[in-house]
Parts: sequence; C-alpha cells; structure tokens
Amino acid sequence: MASDANATNTFETIVGLIEPFNRKNVTITPDTTFQGDLDLDSLTVMDLVAAIEDEYDILIPLNMLPDLETVQQVADAVDKINQEK
Amino acid sequence: MVKKSMIEGAPTKDENFTRRYADFETLVDALEYAASGCRGLNFYSARGELDVHASYTEIRDRAKSIGQRLVTLGLKPGDRMALIAETSLDFVCYFLATQYASVLPVPMPLPTSFGGRDSYIQQLERQLLSCGASAVITPDNMKEMVVEAAKSGNYLFVGSDADFNALNLDLSVPVLPKTDDVAYLQYSSGSTRFPHGIAITHKSLLSNCGGIGKIGMNLSDDDRCVSWLPFYHDMGLVGTFLTPLTCQVTVDYLATENFARRPLTWLNLMSRNKGTVSYSPTFGYDICARRVGKDALAKLDLSSWRVAGIGGDMIRPDVMHHFEEVFADAGFKPQAFVPSYGLAETTLAVSFMPLGTGIVTDKVDERILNGELTLEIANQSHSVNGNGANGHANGHSNGHSNGAANGHIFSTAANDEDGMRYRDVVNCGVPLPEFELEIRSDDGQLLPDRAIGKVFVRGQSVMTGYYNDPETTDAVLSKDGWLDTGDMGYMLDGSLYIIGRIKDMIIVNGRNHWPQDIEWAAEQLPGLRNGDIAAVSLPGEGAEEVPAVLVHCRQRDPEERKQFADDIKAKIQQETGVQVRIELVPPRTLPRTSSGKLSRSKARQQFLNGGMMSLLAV
Repeated sequence: MASDANATNTFETIVGLIEPFNRKNVTITPDTTFQGDLDLDSLTVMDLVAAIEDEYDILIPLNMLPDLETVQQVADAVDKINQEK
Repeated sequence: MVKKSMIEGAPTKDENFTRRYADFETLVDALEYAASGCRGLNFYSARGELDVHASYTEIRDRAKSIGQRLVTLGLKPGDRMALIAETSLDFVCYFLATQYASVLPVPMPLPTSFGGRDSYIQQLERQLLSCGASAVITPDNMKEMVVEAAKSGNYLFVGSDADFNALNLDLSVPVLPKTDDVAYLQYSSGSTRFPHGIAITHKSLLSNCGGIGKIGMNLSDDDRCVSWLPFYHDMGLVGTFLTPLTCQVTVDYLATENFARRPLTWLNLMSRNKGTVSYSPTFGYDICARRVGKDALAKLDLSSWRVAGIGGDMIRPDVMHHFEEVFADAGFKPQAFVPSYGLAETTLAVSFMPLGTGIVTDKVDERILNGELTLEIANQSHSVNGNGANGHANGHSNGHSNGAANGHIFSTAANDEDGMRYRDVVNCGVPLPEFELEIRSDDGQLLPDRAIGKVFVRGQSVMTGYYNDPETTDAVLSKDGWLDTGDMGYMLDGSLYIIGRIKDMIIVNGRNHWPQDIEWAAEQLPGLRNGDIAAVSLPGEGAEEVPAVLVHCRQRDPEERKQFADDIKAKIQQETGVQVRIELVPPRTLPRTSSGKLSRSKARQQFLNGGMMSLLAV
C-alpha cells in the first residue's frame, strides 16, 4: 500500500490520513501545524503517527516529533525515512 | 544481555526461590537479592516483539560496573544525575547504577507530540537547574536536545551510554547508601514552570514497595507484570519498576509512546505472556475499550489478569464498567480491578482496594460536591441518620450496576427517587498499614466518617520534602510528619473515598497541567491581569476532561471578542504546549476566596452549574 516516495504524493497521502482526526475541518496546506491549527492532543497525535507508520511500514522515532511542526515537515520526514530504509 | 532473541525473555517463575517483599535496608540490597534469582525485565518493540531482555543478575552486574565508574568520574554521594527516562534497559541500569555511587537519579520526561521543541528543551533545562544535576544520561537520539538543555549549567558529563563507555573509566570502590539516605528525586507531579523534586529515602521506598507487593498485590510465584507506564511518573517508576524489582517479579515493558500509538499492544502482551498484574490510569482502559474491534477481541485472553490496578487520576466508574463489558468476552474479570490512591509525595501508594473486590461506589449528593451544602452541615448531620441533608444515600450503591460510558464528569450521577442528584464516588480502598490517615476540615478539625475534608497522611513512605525547597515543603508537610495530600475525600467503614484534587491540578490524558502555568501564559498578553483568568478542567466530548480557561472579557464587539479569545489560545499554546478551551465570561464574575485569591474550584463549579454566563467559547 506504500505510495511512491514522491513528495507531492506523500503530502497528499498524509492529508488523507489526517482527515479522520481533523475534527475542526481545517483546510490542510503544507504549512498547517499540528498543535496550532489542527488542535491535536498528544494521544491523538500518537494515533496519527501510528496511521502514518502503518501506511508506509516505517517507524518515526520519538525524538523527531518535536521538530515536526507542519504537515509538509512530516511528509518530508516520511520520505527521508523511506529513502534510508 | 541477549538482543533480538526469539525466546520470551526473563521467565515468570523461579523454582526454589524465596520471595521477599522489599524487606531490605537499601535499593542496593534489594537488587543484590533479586540478582540471586533468574527473573528479570523484558522490553518489547512498537509491534509487540521482544526486543531486549536481561535478568536481574545481568542488570546488577552492569549497574554495579557503571556505578563504580560514576565514582571515578567524580560524582560524590548526594550529587544528582538526570536520566532521560525512556523505557529502556539503559535507563534501568543507570538508575540502579547511581545507587552504587550514592548518587541521586532524577528521571526526566520525554517529548510526546508533534512540534514544541523549544518548550520541551526549556522544561528539561528548568528541571536540570532545579535539581542541580552534575551529570546527564540521554538516549543517543535525544542527545542534541539534551545538550541544548544542559548548556546553561556545569556538568561533569552529558551524553549517552556509548559516550560514557568511551570515557574508559577505571572501576572505583562502590560508595553504598544507607537506609535513611535519599534514593532518588521524582519530578512526576508539579508545575513545569516552577518544578520541585520529591525526595524519597531508601527506607521510604522499600516500605512502600513492600506494602504494594504484599498487601496491595499479594504477589505470588505465578505473577508477571506488564507495563507501558513512563518511568518519569511515580506509577511507572515505583509501581511497575521498583516494586517488581524489590519483590523479584518479571516485567514486560512496552514504551509509553508505543502504547499511545497502538494501545491494544498492551492487552496483546497481557494475553500472550499470561500477565497477571498491570496498572493504568482511567484513560488507558478507556482508550482500549473504545479502540478494540471484533477480530482483535477474539484473539485476546485476559483471564490471567488478577490485578488490574487503577490510579494516577480520578477513577471513573462508568469508564471502568465499559471496559468490563467490552472485555468480558476475552475473559476479563471485573473483580480484577483494584482501585488505589496515592501520590508521589508518599512514594506512590496510600491505599488499595482489597483484592478480588472490583469497583465499589458510594453515592454522594451533588450539592455537597459543588459547594451548595457546606462541610459543616454535612458534619452536623452525620449524627442525623437517614436525613437527606447529610448528603449521602443510604449505604453503598452496587458498584457494578452502572452501564455504558457517556463521557461527562458527572455522568454517573443519577436522579434518585427523591429527585436528588448523586455522583458515584469510587472506593479507593484501605490505607496500607504503615499509614495513619486523617480527614480534616478547613480549620484543621478531625472529621468523622462520611464527612468530606482534606486528606492527610503520615507514615514511613512520606517524602522527606521537596528537594532544596523548604518553603514549599513546609506548606504541605508538618514537623510531626503529616502530609497534606491536596486531595479532598472522606472515610467510610475504613475505606478512603477521593472526591478530587483540591490543588486544582488539571489532568488531561494522564498528564498533569498546573493552572498557574496556563494562567501565567495568558497574563503575558496586554490587558490581562492576575485574577482575570482561571484555568480549570471541564468535561470534554470523550471520557477525559479538557483543560480550559475562564477569562474576564471587557470587549463588546463580537469580532474583537473572537480575536481576544484566539490570541489567548495561541499564547497558551506557545508558552505551555497545552491546547485549552477558552470560555469568555463577563468582568468581575470569577469568584475569590476570603483572602482575595482567585478560587479556581468555585469558578469551575459556578461555570458548570450555569452560574456564570459564557460570552464566547473557542
């Protein structure tokens, strides 16, 4: 099920994965932030992380999370982890 | 230490081994005894596969070697060493290693969310400075952030296990602690902006671990513990690491972040390894009951689960009953639930529900809880049996009569035949024998059964104080050893019932948020003064409470109000990392105490009772 490691596709796939958690119906752009815009609490974030990990069959290390403020940053991180696999 | 093994790690049973319930002088003695058996600790991966395991013998050997090198490094007895508390064998070994140098380990939190790098580093920095750490051990992948947090202090060492080994230090003679020495500092509860470390001695620790192991859990040969609780919280550190160690029990660990990602991995481990003892705050049970599907449920066998401990925040009977219903098909027994009460200031545990009882509740008139009926009236009417004004229904309700969760703090309240509203309060069990417990009124009078007051405890496991903070210590701990727990509750037939935290601590998803931190953040905005903001928790959509602020609003224009509320939300988010609900209320509506201080608890009650108008909610 893993998508091509193509930046646009990754972003769009992640937007799709965020949708079930997007209770405020925020329009998601590359600059949308998880804390500020999407209003996700820490447990919901972990749920989302699990969904992304399952989609790409990767593990996103905990220490990366504090640096990932926006959706685009997460997409880039996923591509990077995928390339290093 | 065997890595990537296919065998299921340290075993449950240890033939011909005599269990001791933490009756040791020091943690070192306890570890040495555990090392004479074959049990140990197993660490599981995100996908629930056994990753790393070690017997207590291997752990002792490694800890002792590191400890001897810590002495060589120059750490003196009583010095503090901070440990970034990931769920790993490294953390366990370094925590125990400090004991061979009489150094105090200080577990530090991990990041939990997307974003928020700066506030996390600041939090670490404040805790490092607060405890005056001389050394910091961090997982490799956290090193960059930890080094940044440590830039403002003087440290003998900051780095990972690999960095420490690369120092090639010689082994010095161990410097062993005595029973009255402080064993560790705990920052699990407390303000992130004004942190204070709880100092626990060896004697206190072992007394509490003994009580938990013998009386609370009645550990036996077949017991095996499974845990996802973080080592930087008292329930994880003492409940599912130091108690099993000092009572020689094997533990299976799942990292907290992996539990949060895939909660059912916890129950799968329980099922696969025939776990008998596991602990969680209410929300952990809640999230599993909500997530599990038919297929997952069919694969689970929870019939071995003997002690399903609940603690850490207010116990919600509706959530617990929902869990019972959902997992009955997997063999979960409602009697396995063991409500308990405790706090880091008493090492961990104060009281336990007797084993095999399950959840028992008592009904309390909501007028007592929301302050419409005063303690004095409740007190007086104690002798007036059967009078509705005493605020309690007759006797206990049946603890298993409540059905589905529906997600509000007072959801378990029901209209009784007399038209009164009651809230089911959970029986948190009987105090451990080491404790004296008193319920006191505001003016310090001893209260009888059923009367709600402040919970005070005295006993061997009470902390010596907050580290380096005599002022804060004196505020909660009297010279003759009585600790003000900060909780409200009452006694009934020898059991403790907890009503809530008087300190107004806001607990969301098991994390503590201190209102003064949130209010402080909002007060950094122009036009907001101290007393204009009350941070409280309010019932959310699910079972959990959500943090909220009630704010005086002087603006009249709807657009301006919206902007005002958005600004406050953003500011609090930026400063504290907490997502709060904003409720704008008219000026001068937030209640004050007689001494003029903001009363958060009254503000919360008034708001929930509809006694305070909401101008706008964001």
